[in-house]
Amino acid sequence: MSTNNTWILKHPWSVRSFHYLLVLSFIPLAITGVVLYFKPFDGPAMNWYMQVHIVAGVLLTLAAVAYFIIGFNRVIAFIKRSFSFSVNDIKWFTVLGGYPQKFLLGKKVLVPPMGKYNSGQKLFGICVLVGGTILLVTGWGLWGLPHILPNGMTALFGTLHLVFGWILILFLLVHIFLGIYMFDDFKAMFLHGKIPYEEAKEIAPIWVERELMKVEI
Amino acid sequence: MKEKRYQYEENPSYVSRREFITISGIVIAILALPAVWIRSAIVKRNSYIRARISGLYKDDVTSKIRVSHANSGVTRLYSDFAGHPLSHISEELFHTEHYIDRTRI
Repeated sequence: MSTNNTWILKHPWSVRSFHYLLVLSFIPLAITGVVLYFKPFDGPAMNWYMQVHIVAGVLLTLAAVAYFIIGFNRVIAFIKRSFSFSVNDIKWFTVLGGYPQKFLLGKKVLVPPMGKYNSGQKLFGICVLVGGTILLVTGWGLWGLPHILPNGMTALFGTLHLVFGWILILFLLVHIFLGIYMFDDFKAMFLHGKIPYEEAKEIAPIWVERELMKVEI
Repeated sequence: MKEKRYQYEENPSYVSRREFITISGIVIAILALPAVWIRSAIVKRNSYIRARISGLYKDDVTSKIRVSHANSGVTRLYSDFAGHPLSHISEELFHTEHYIDRTRI
């Protein structure tokens, strides 16, 4: 927790609202997707899981399209940050952000300075952006247009939906764990949007130095 | 919840106008290319279906027997053995009793 009262607005309401919608749609999608893959229940129960999967998919689509339109400038900034690489990213991956050393060995290692997103978050961001788009397109194709799409394309859509679904589910588990571990950021995303200046300076010094401006009161 | 005050926020000029236009163009192109690919695949598939339909109509025109109930084999089956459509023996032999509704999944 910050010892002073200097705060940075990291997640404005538009981002927090979109994130809430992502939580409400993607977690049910992930759970029902895993159930639909393994098929552990009988027909009516599996049918219910499919209905939930579809409703959550529609919610995710609406949220994604709305944010793409309303928050287009933030989408562009997100893409710029996610696809900006430097030698620091290679260094970050060689120590994996210092997390394994911290969790497994209790050691603190030197981590290269990062921007708003560290290298792992950038990789996650790229997966969400690319994988999420592919999941939405293939999901709609498989649900709404299987009679229109050529057979080969429907099969390809099924494979892509499966592969990217698993990738995002596995990333989601890491995201949830680290999201709760970084508790100030967790509170910022789910409550007030702000993180302490001192903490931001420690975990994202490049962001603090180059991308912030003082608010005129 | 009461909104806390903050002293810093992100500078909107982090993305310059040139970068904004460039990235927007790339995003729209990347979204449009698969849409074009999917559309062309559907059109190609439809052209195959149209060719198949026209082939079937062509077969119809050249065929002597165009409907199943005019098939001499079928009419002989009913006259010599099954009686008439929906007869007891027809239902027993030709109708399935093991229908499972799979339309909902």
